[in-house]
Amino acid sequence: MADIVFAAAVSHAPGLTGWFDKADEESQRNVREAYATVGSDIRDANLDLLVIIANDHLANFPVTDYPDFVFGMIDEHSGPDTWFKPWLAVEDYSMPGRPDLAEAVYGHLQGAGANVVRWDEPLRFDDNISVPVTLTGFKDMGVAVLPVIQNCTVPPVPDERASYKLGEQLGEALRALPDGLRIGVLGSGGLSHEPGGKRYLAIDGDFDRWFLDLLAEGDHDKVLREATFERMEEAGIGGTAELLSWLVAMGSIGERPCEVLTYAEVPEWRCGVGAVRWTV
Amino acid sequence: MAIENFNRELATHDFVQQMKWNVELRQRFEQDPGAVLDQFELLPQERTAIEERDFKALYDIGVHPYLLSQLARLLYGTVEGAGSSEASLALVRSLLGEDAPS
Repeated sequence: MADIVFAAAVSHAPGLTGWFDKADEESQRNVREAYATVGSDIRDANLDLLVIIANDHLANFPVTDYPDFVFGMIDEHSGPDTWFKPWLAVEDYSMPGRPDLAEAVYGHLQGAGANVVRWDEPLRFDDNISVPVTLTGFKDMGVAVLPVIQNCTVPPVPDERASYKLGEQLGEALRALPDGLRIGVLGSGGLSHEPGGKRYLAIDGDFDRWFLDLLAEGDHDKVLREATFERMEEAGIGGTAELLSWLVAMGSIGERPCEVLTYAEVPEWRCGVGAVRWTV
Repeated sequence: MAIENFNRELATHDFVQQMKWNVELRQRFEQDPGAVLDQFELLPQERTAIEERDFKALYDIGVHPYLLSQLARLLYGTVEGAGSSEASLALVRSLLGEDAPS
């Protein structure tokens, strides 16, 4: 039996790398330190595999045929996608995959009831993967990654309960990996934002603080009752629900103490930015 | 509340995604936008809205908002290091009707 020895969730946004310095100095410092803490935790966890659950911003599939959860199965994961390079302004990166472990996890999830798809070609990564692996320094650690790309924005979206349930099944699959393997789980997405909508340049700080406080309470049933897909959409259509990726991470570990590492409400970043970690 | 009036069948989605995925197509679009638009089975109102940069019209007929933000970048360009780029401001002005002819 393998062990999940690290779990955290962080926001991503192009502004966090592309125009980080547009924020006030305190927000820059707090966010920089939070991502560094997550990076330090990952390094200290001595992982064999990090599963990153991140939403897909319509970067990989046509809207006419949009899968819910896509597992990247190949032996090397590179980014960022060419189109996003001028926007993100991050160095190119390449991270090892573990096709053997990806195969085992994917196989375990067959029959789970969710729309889970394997992808044996390179996935296009935008800020969803590029921002967290850059700001945490993970891209240079040489640790294998299993990207799980989630639909959080093309209707119909797997809602909070479907996401949490998939997380529970993912947790079972990860713990079923060979004895001694050390596994990490990182959710990437949110907080409030409305990409391409009328509130594109706005952030719902009240929602963000409420959500982070709710997670810190640690009652997952309450999270699922209150932090619904609809509530997320009220705080930013088509963007805030990226927090569903955090719920997948929560499902994979069950109720554990949760610590809020930071929150920053910076309009120039066009997205509420937060980070949490769980004691596992 | 969710994305309103989403119509996955609109060819604008395919146009924006193909433009993102294909550098050559982007280069051809810069030289001859009409020829590239001809390649996609756009409804007349989609094509007109793209040509007139009328994001609100596209939103109202069901284009996914995230791809509207990408279309804005395609049409207005990506200004590196900009927190409030011309593309995003133009998009929001259009959605709020602030650029409607008086």
